[in-house]
Amino acid sequence: MNKSLDPRINRLNIDKYPADLTRKVPLDQFGTYEVFTQSKTEQPYQHEGIVHAPSKEMAFIFAKEQFSRRMTCSGLFVVETKNIFVTATTENNINVYHTVSEKFDTTGHLEQYEFFHLLKRGKQHLHVGSIEARNAQEALALAKPAFSEEDPVLNAWIIKTKDILFSSEEDTIIWNTLPDKKFRNASAYKASDKIKAFKESQKSTL
Amino acid sequence: MYGGGNTFDPITDTKQATEDPQKLQEFEARIERGEKIEPSDWMPDLYRKQLIRMIEQHAHSEIIGALPEGTWITRAPGFKRKLALMAKVQDEVGHAQLLYAAAETLGKSREQMIDDLLEGKSKYSNIFNYPAFTWADACFISWLVDAGAIVNQLANSKGSYGPYCRALERICVEESFHLKYGHHCVIHLATGTDIQRKMMQEALNRWWEPMMHFFGPPDKVSVHTEVLMKWKVKMSSNDQCRNQFLDMYVPKILELGLTIPDPLLRKNPETEQWEYTEPDWEVFKKVINGDGPCNEERLAVRRVAEARGKWVRQALLKPKTEYVTPLA
Repeated sequence: MNKSLDPRINRLNIDKYPADLTRKVPLDQFGTYEVFTQSKTEQPYQHEGIVHAPSKEMAFIFAKEQFSRRMTCSGLFVVETKNIFVTATTENNINVYHTVSEKFDTTGHLEQYEFFHLLKRGKQHLHVGSIEARNAQEALALAKPAFSEEDPVLNAWIIKTKDILFSSEEDTIIWNTLPDKKFRNASAYKASDKIKAFKESQKSTL
Repeated sequence: MYGGGNTFDPITDTKQATEDPQKLQEFEARIERGEKIEPSDWMPDLYRKQLIRMIEQHAHSEIIGALPEGTWITRAPGFKRKLALMAKVQDEVGHAQLLYAAAETLGKSREQMIDDLLEGKSKYSNIFNYPAFTWADACFISWLVDAGAIVNQLANSKGSYGPYCRALERICVEESFHLKYGHHCVIHLATGTDIQRKMMQEALNRWWEPMMHFFGPPDKVSVHTEVLMKWKVKMSSNDQCRNQFLDMYVPKILELGLTIPDPLLRKNPETEQWEYTEPDWEVFKKVINGDGPCNEERLAVRRVAEARGKWVRQALLKPKTEYVTPLA
């Protein structure tokens, strides 16, 4: 290794490590969790993206760092990707609820399900409410009259409430200091005065 | 941040001939209408493959791009600069995570992508194979390399793939801080003492050629990408991006009394296009193929991180974890 400008190169003792890594077994990786955040208390929860984590609790911590270290945040939750029931995405602006079968299985016991709608391709899924049902299929059928929106719903996600890890009341203090972190905002780096003063000084020396 | 001039596979007609013409037509009509493609939609193999490749390169560029700047955190002048630089580097790594996630929705796992990076199989932006000698080099990267990246990213955020657009929207918002911070740093050096000015000018001289390389080879020699343009995978050509960058930033560089090391650089008032000395594309090829000043070192740092973190991942791994492709 050549002499480096990167202090890590010396500190890490890089030459000690083999240049070739043994290839990982195909699934040597964490599962994925879908992350939802709420920017202000009156706003609906919105899907943000995913984190990879070994457990719900770690997913929550990663999600907090990844999706709520900037802007404002009043709530956050995570759910394992495989615990989300997904409808088909409809074509030609057909409301997904028009394709829902009226017949449904009535097995299972009553549980609460959360509903998320996609109203436009390329946008995020938004939380619309919850439904009590005995299974996801029934929940979907019951949601049809409950969440009939003016705009067609292109895709719906259904999640059992008990599969979700929500931020608690005490957690919200982690976002209290967000407004103080001005160094993360472009507005903290104004320098037009300095350019102006520089230009003035250039003129006067000519 | 991120470099343009993606490398794409050469496209042959045979690849498309095998697609179902009916589905292909519906797919193209959707893009034509300006609708986004979502992961569950049908898409041609070539679209999927090239998108994975592009988003993956973008993600790797964020991870590797954090290294030359990260080096300067401990030596950044003063508490405020350290704080800002740490926040910026954290953002870049966060961007990589967003992008890996977007690429994963297309069916390639994050681990596979990271493996391909470490094994030298996939590329990242060429500009990060150059060393940051002084604090002024770090300032150049923060301002102008990020500026170049924003030109690319804003174009790509109007592309056709939903998850990539969503990631880019978030990234572009965060980049606005990077750009302002970088400009602030450069202004302070350029309007400072003679030594500071000299340091800034020398950094600019060092980085100008890599910056011109940044957007990729000129359109006349690039791989044909018409179909990628039609499918809104690639949103503007290398030369268009380079021209836009020069348009926006040459005046801002010159107003600081800095000079640009290219005597031929000028904007042609008739064509509205910038004219410049063609950078040495043989150098570009050499560096992108692994023979740049820092290629070896950049990957070595990542490999060590991988090797050192292995026991943590092993300890946390749940053997029964079922990996599924993320939804959106």
